[in-house]
Amino acid sequence: MTAYIIRRLLFLVFVLFGVSILIFGLLSTFSPERRAAAYVTSPKQAENIPLIIQEYGLDKPFYVQYGKWVQQVAKGNLGWSLVAARPVAEAFWTYFPTTLELNLLASPLVIIVGIWLGTMSGVHRDSFFDHSTRIAAIVGWSLPTFLFALILLMVFYGYLDMFSPGILSNKLSLWVANHPDEFVRYTGMYTFDGLLNGRLDITLNALRHLVLPVITQVIVVVALLMRVMRSGMIEEMNKDYVITAKAKGADFKTIYKKHAKKNALIPVITVAGQLVALSMEGSIAVEVVFSRQGMGWWLAESATQLDMPVLMSVCMFVGLVFVTSNLIIDIMYAYVDPRIRLH
Amino acid sequence: MKRIISVLACVLLMASVAVAASPKDTFVFESYGTVRTLDPACAYDVVSHQRIMNIYESLIFFDGSATDKFGPVLATEVPSVENGGIRDDGKTYEFKIRKGVKFHNGNDLTAEDVAYSIKRHMIVDQEGGPMWMMLEAVAGVSSTRKDGKIIDGIFEQIDKSVEVKGDSVIIHLPRPFPPLLAVLAYSYGGVILDKEWTIANGGWDGTVKNAANFNGPGFGSEPLLKIANGTGPYKMLKWTPSNEFIFKRSKNYWGEKPELETAIIRYNKEWSSRKLALQNGDADRVTVDAQYLSEVQDMDNVKLFSVPQLSVTGAMFCQKINPEANPNIGSGKLDGEGIPPNFFSDINVRKAFLHAFDRQMYIEDVWNDNVTIPTTPNAKGLPYYKEEPVYEYDLEKAAEFMKKAWGGKVWDKGFKMVLTHNTGNAQREAAALMIAENIMSLNPKFQIEVRNVDWKDYTVGYRKFMYPLFIIGWGADFPDPDNFLTTFMASTGPYGKFMAYKNDEVDKLAKYARFEIDPEKRRDAYFRMQDLWFEDAPGLILYQKVDHFAYRSNIDGFIPNPMLDHEWENLKLLKKN
Repeated sequence: MTAYIIRRLLFLVFVLFGVSILIFGLLSTFSPERRAAAYVTSPKQAENIPLIIQEYGLDKPFYVQYGKWVQQVAKGNLGWSLVAARPVAEAFWTYFPTTLELNLLASPLVIIVGIWLGTMSGVHRDSFFDHSTRIAAIVGWSLPTFLFALILLMVFYGYLDMFSPGILSNKLSLWVANHPDEFVRYTGMYTFDGLLNGRLDITLNALRHLVLPVITQVIVVVALLMRVMRSGMIEEMNKDYVITAKAKGADFKTIYKKHAKKNALIPVITVAGQLVALSMEGSIAVEVVFSRQGMGWWLAESATQLDMPVLMSVCMFVGLVFVTSNLIIDIMYAYVDPRIRLH
Repeated sequence: MKRIISVLACVLLMASVAVAASPKDTFVFESYGTVRTLDPACAYDVVSHQRIMNIYESLIFFDGSATDKFGPVLATEVPSVENGGIRDDGKTYEFKIRKGVKFHNGNDLTAEDVAYSIKRHMIVDQEGGPMWMMLEAVAGVSSTRKDGKIIDGIFEQIDKSVEVKGDSVIIHLPRPFPPLLAVLAYSYGGVILDKEWTIANGGWDGTVKNAANFNGPGFGSEPLLKIANGTGPYKMLKWTPSNEFIFKRSKNYWGEKPELETAIIRYNKEWSSRKLALQNGDADRVTVDAQYLSEVQDMDNVKLFSVPQLSVTGAMFCQKINPEANPNIGSGKLDGEGIPPNFFSDINVRKAFLHAFDRQMYIEDVWNDNVTIPTTPNAKGLPYYKEEPVYEYDLEKAAEFMKKAWGGKVWDKGFKMVLTHNTGNAQREAAALMIAENIMSLNPKFQIEVRNVDWKDYTVGYRKFMYPLFIIGWGADFPDPDNFLTTFMASTGPYGKFMAYKNDEVDKLAKYARFEIDPEKRRDAYFRMQDLWFEDAPGLILYQKVDHFAYRSNIDGFIPNPMLDHEWENLKLLKKN
């Protein structure tokens, strides 16, 4: 197992190299003028495009520009994010905690709710519960995230004035800004920092701002997991060993909980792992509608503005997350199914 | 599972307890602009400008809503010929510096700080930055570099141009530059720094011999990018990029104490979310784009100000289109399948296009009567604006001109071309569609396709002469006709050169008027340039931008100014009832 993990981690280096070449190559297909335009915010500044090209060497051959980038990355300099007006590394630690905070709450819910609903639907196939959850899943899956988020915002904030967008209330934002020594940002996530600083009110306020984003994220994502779990359960429940167990008079709950569910989890682990990894990129719709600028917003803005250092770094990060998540998925396979051995 | 659900329900219930809207002594403004830098030498966008101008101050500033009258700020009076502050035929400006002013860190403001700041901004001169204005005034060049190299003696020239004399700072110009006060009033060159603090934080060390080391910093390398220490009414409490910027009232402020203790400017890109924040009182002001105006007009407890800006948008004819691999001109010939690269060099074609634009319908249907259309690029509200005649909407006249164009070939053979506008601007798209449809209605052989292009691509495209007609806007750097008429009309102007429009008389007038101090002579020159805009028909002015300021009704103190756009907020004037 250890050798397998080390081998997979070594493989990561090649993946990152491949990703960086691919993304850099793709971005280099844009003309130097177009890439220099990323530095321009107004027609007045456009006058300086030729000078910007010269200063940043944007007209140099691909390998020269790539070599320069690798050199800088090796020195720990990921570049400057025009979108964030910060070095990329610093900006990453501004936006990533926002995305992570949302996912730390939404992902377990997605997994728990998805598995539970899928199991129940599969076990009680063609029942009222099964039909209702299937309809809800189809609606949830097909509803555009942006629209669903807006509907939630209109109802819960517009009409009920309950859950406002943003990260923290104005009052607490001001308190935090005024007391930097009393409130240490250990994690960059207010829910956790509130607890670590002994400020439950801040944690609760941050949670209040997370309610709608989390609901949106869960409703939109849970459908896929539920469907996979349901199919798995139906398949397992029709297998011979379940029929044998039933014939032997085993308790129904024991059959599906202890035997069938565990076997049905294998494809669910793959899907759940991918969904969690994917969610680290952030959700543009959730972040924009609920005004929580995280990785999704940053990546989208950077793509529109061709903020190359960000695109390079975030794509590398996504590569890292996917390789790591696949590794974790493989390890979990071995845990869930003892027949699987990792070599 | 039941236990988990119960716990979650409890947490949600506790968390949903409503929290008060924006606090009484705090102003909350939700917008979608992002700050690029707080270094006054490098900031060249309205969002950064807003933050800077509430923290720092300039020597003078616009007087209320005026753009051509100024009031003293860190200077004790606005220099004029009458008070002797402007002398030597407009080549010397003297500013008497206010005493008893402190920076946020407690240091006193001195004349030395003022001279250092003015010099430092020009010495920094970041690529793509705003310092070309001051450099043109003080050194007669638009950059400290030429072909990537520092111009010999430029730093010495800057150093000698600004001198301290007692409590005054004197600026010497190589030739008169009438817009100097307007340039100094805005943040582009006139923002005053604390010399000691700036040097301690890695800014120019004050010596000419080391100036080159501080020249042209890359984006993100400017030393004052995320720190600030001004004399202004507010100091920066916190800046989380693309999230929130928090101001706190300065205890050291020399002027009248601002009423509001704090201000939060929050990034919120989504209109629905901003609108609800305004409606619920969580925001005291939000940015409203023109297309959402009707949603705010009848909102309870909200007051709305619509302020025409010194910003003009027009459709510019390119008279020398790039024929290389250019899909916008089809075959590149006048054979019915394209247009030749110099299609718009025939004034008949240009006039036909102008007659095909229905101004009245555009004002009523696209803008809901909420727009101004100037007749020339010299925006209304600028000095020496002249109301010129317009090519009224008349398709018969348009057809007449088309029949004359290119010796009748245009009418006989027809043409195909692409008309572009930048993505996401509904008003520009509407103008493009209107022109295209009206021109196509003249003759079935006329075919125009309207396409949208991402703004950054658009910026690159028009500079490569790729578009037969490009729709683009210009906002004032400083409120002076030079900044508009030269831009749109001079053959070296930022747009004039990409229109390939050249009229020797225009070029001569633009150069002359820029440095002429006699107001009457200047007026005559700019009037003539505007006459030529009508006579030569090099482009079509579509609209003058109107910005909308939506406040909660308990907020008072807003003073509109055409130079200060919707990202602007002068916090010290605001009162919250």
